Amino acid sequence: MASKGHIQDGHFGLRVYIVFGLVTLLTFILCVSVGSVAVPPDETVSLIFKAITGAELPRSSAASIIISSRVPRVLCVALTGAALSLSGAAMQGLLKNPLADGSTLGVSSGASLGAVLAIALGLEFAALPFAGTMVTAVVFAFVSLLAILSLAWRMDRSLSTNTIILIGVIYSMFVSSLLALIVTFASDKVKTITFWTMGSLAGSSYANALVLLGALLVGGSIILSKARELNAFAVGEENAVHIGVNVRRVRLTVLAAVALLTGVCVSIGGCIAFVGLVAPHMVRMITGPNHARLLPASAFGGATFLMLCDLVARIILNPLQLPIGVVTSLIGATLFVVILYRGRKKAL
Amino acid sequence: MFGTFHALQKHVRNCVLPVIALVVALAIASPALGATAPATAQDAGSKDAAAKTAPAATDAASTAKTPEKAKEVVNDPTGPAKIVDMTGREISLDAPATNIVALSAADCEILFAVGAGETLVGRGEYCDYPAEVLKVPSVQSGYETNIEQIIALEPQVLLMSTMAQTKEQVEELEAAGITVVVSDAQDIEGVYESVRMIGALTGHAGDAEKVVKDMQKDLEELAKLAKDNKGKTIYFEVSPLQYGLWAAGKGSFMNEVSELLGLENIFADMPAWAEVSEEQVIDRNPDYIVTISMYYGEGPTPIEEIMARPGWDVISAVEDGNIINLPNNELSRPTPRIAEGARMLADFIAAEDSAPVAKAA
Repeated sequence: MASKGHIQDGHFGLRVYIVFGLVTLLTFILCVSVGSVAVPPDETVSLIFKAITGAELPRSSAASIIISSRVPRVLCVALTGAALSLSGAAMQGLLKNPLADGSTLGVSSGASLGAVLAIALGLEFAALPFAGTMVTAVVFAFVSLLAILSLAWRMDRSLSTNTIILIGVIYSMFVSSLLALIVTFASDKVKTITFWTMGSLAGSSYANALVLLGALLVGGSIILSKARELNAFAVGEENAVHIGVNVRRVRLTVLAAVALLTGVCVSIGGCIAFVGLVAPHMVRMITGPNHARLLPASAFGGATFLMLCDLVARIILNPLQLPIGVVTSLIGATLFVVILYRGRKKAL
Repeated sequence: MFGTFHALQKHVRNCVLPVIALVVALAIASPALGATAPATAQDAGSKDAAAKTAPAATDAASTAKTPEKAKEVVNDPTGPAKIVDMTGREISLDAPATNIVALSAADCEILFAVGAGETLVGRGEYCDYPAEVLKVPSVQSGYETNIEQIIALEPQVLLMSTMAQTKEQVEELEAAGITVVVSDAQDIEGVYESVRMIGALTGHAGDAEKVVKDMQKDLEELAKLAKDNKGKTIYFEVSPLQYGLWAAGKGSFMNEVSELLGLENIFADMPAWAEVSEEQVIDRNPDYIVTISMYYGEGPTPIEEIMARPGWDVISAVEDGNIINLPNNELSRPTPRIAEGARMLADFIAAEDSAPVAKAA
């Protein structure tokens, strides 16, 4: 899923890529084969093979289900997972903060505020149907990041974990009250805005997947190309300065990439919480803290994690469907507490 | 639409949160086995309690209806007005109510339907039918019901559904001297009951009886079509793909209407409002689709949007263009207009069936 071959620091070798790629691919196949409606695996595989080779697809409900509904959805889920996880890993490194994530910092909320404003104000570019919400979501994600971080920096130069999270939470609350305000004032149409606060990848299309892939290639390669600098940050900002890192520029570049990824994900799937928190932490246990390995692995790990969460959401109460955010939040919130608890114990 | 959306939100709150709570509770309870037992016992206890209250409510409802059936029901403009509301509370007024605030859109409609529209001094913000109702001052309803606004209108009676108001809110209103009457129709039989109740409350019992009779007549007539519709399947879409598909399942008015018309709701195995997936719709392959999405005058219409969904072309309803848009709550709101909505649906199905040429095109 990640932009392959862009970073070659010698740490994330071909072999590891193959292993992670294979796991992701297997998960993808599993998630496409299993769903609320049972389609035999051999039929699934032959349908996908036909679709890829451009052979004519049979007109059957199975073909529609697999090719038009399930594959694009799982693709979007995987790409969203990769993007959110990669931005989570980048922020955790940049801020030296194990709890940093789009949802805990309030970046996702900021992005959804942007998307909602675009709808409320009828902001649209005729040529690109989804572009209005997407552009505002990205811009708002970036502005939110800058606002949250500069406020945190004013209050606490060391940018300690607690300060940032606290401000992120307050910012999220602030945004959700703004959203409620917009919903109150806006026309009937905008009341459907709740979508952006719940998060859903139902009804994803191949076009969505292409946009996500584009964002991931651009944002992902920017972040991956800064792996060395992120390693330097992890040791300490002073250390980064000493080894010749332009701290300010790197920070802004990474934050812009994170905003791009988060904004695009939110404009397509709404706020899906905690993915950027859970996946990098799980991956870190395998790869260790070196960003040259951690970042690409996080992209694969995030894709795998979110695909599995989506699978659970789709089948656990079958035929009922659960919102994907319920699953990620349940797992994510638990892990959040565990990380916080461990961190405290270490500090004492 | 908004009634629907609120119902969805409510469903999310009612349905998803308990699931979360359950999972969390299980997670907490499982290490300590001892903790599980009392939890289960408590569960069983609350189910018992629910089972006990249910028949009591039904009893009250049937006793309320029997005397009316015994003799000719006529309007009684002088009173006294004695009713049992739909939670089983006995309410008696010296004279029919003349100042009413109605919070739910359905109750507003019923007041106008029984000819008591002029008693309305305030309405919930989502009340939108008939058009005259919009002239009545609106109060905030639903989860943000504004009690002060209601008290300021000085009504004798507040009509509301059981959906959103807490016990505390009801107590506060009663303390302010307002009689709270609850209407809570869950099925068509319930609509008859709330029409009769609101008729009796306003001295329009005779008119109400006529409304009920008309509805019954219409629906009986429609039920005769059931044999023609045998084996036909239908899908009720209450939230479009863009915001996640939601369908009407068992316990919804749409399901009841489809049963009445002899149609088979493809999601009859689901709760009244259920989130569904595209693949389920494709797999269950409905012959007809009803969408209640509103059209805002830009982009594709709800019907065009459904027709254009990738992969949906294999669905019979899409193939044959058998999709109808009923955006005005005809089939989702517990009012006399349900009969009208049922008629529209029946006519649509009959028209589609008699026009096989159009299908081919």
